[in-house]
Amino acid sequence: MRMRRHFDHEDSTGIDLAPMLDFVLNLLIFFIITAVFVKEVGMDVNRHGGAASGPSTAKESESISVIIKASGEVIVDDRTVDVRAVRANVERLHAQKPDWGVMVTTEQAAQSGLLVQVVDQIHQGGVDNVSFGTSSR
Amino acid sequence: MRSQRHSGEAGEDHGIDLAPMLDFVLNLLIFFIITTSFVREPGVSVNKQEAATASARESGNILIAIRANDEIWMDRRQVDIREVRPIIERIHVERPEDTVIVIADKASKAGLLAHVMDEVTLGGIKEVAIGAQGLGEE
Repeated sequence: MRMRRHFDHEDSTGIDLAPMLDFVLNLLIFFIITAVFVKEVGMDVNRHGGAASGPSTAKESESISVIIKASGEVIVDDRTVDVRAVRANVERLHAQKPDWGVMVTTEQAAQSGLLVQVVDQIHQGGVDNVSFGTSSR
Repeated sequence: MRSQRHSGEAGEDHGIDLAPMLDFVLNLLIFFIITTSFVREPGVSVNKQEAATASARESGNILIAIRANDEIWMDRRQVDIREVRPIIERIHVERPEDTVIVIADKASKAGLLAHVMDEVTLGGIKEVAIGAQGLGEE
């Protein structure tokens, strides 16, 4: 008899899912609202010199020097070149000295876009160890 | 007679079965929990330089924007260069695995970009990338 009554009880209700559903829906709405699907793209550049740098990975004497002037000139290894020619020049110098990194020195007033272009060209030229510093002038 | 029986039965029934809906909603919830990354957006759009070798950063979720007129924006408000370091220090304590992407406008000064990167490094986050726009994406 008692057994029978127990069965009856289970048959009639079970757990009430409604409060749980309310809670889960609220969580869902929160996560939908805060979801951001933007993946930012970027490039890794070591910082050379400046207030924060510890011992630098690339020694100044053992790296290919690229200088960016405020006027937009790009100087690779003491020769003024076009931005699009940086890649070829870096490739050539990299073939001569495979273990050297590249050091990019920009003037304070140079444009960031040009810096990104130059670093992109250097990456395309096959050198991943790029550090970047600013000249004091 | 028939109508009465009908309404009586429906009233005693449990109404809609919520279990399938709950399954579905739970799946959606798990999806959004997994994909959420809590990116701190700068709140302004900048004109980024295109770069062929730029790669997507999975972990870069603190974004600092430098506009063409040399304003610095992070977390949807404009900040001074001297504020960057304390803000980064605070975030770094809260979530140590966060990394930074500095998104500089094409026309902004490279000196300011370097200064911002220095402040971020001094704030304790060593992984700093320069934001760029991948080729062929909007």
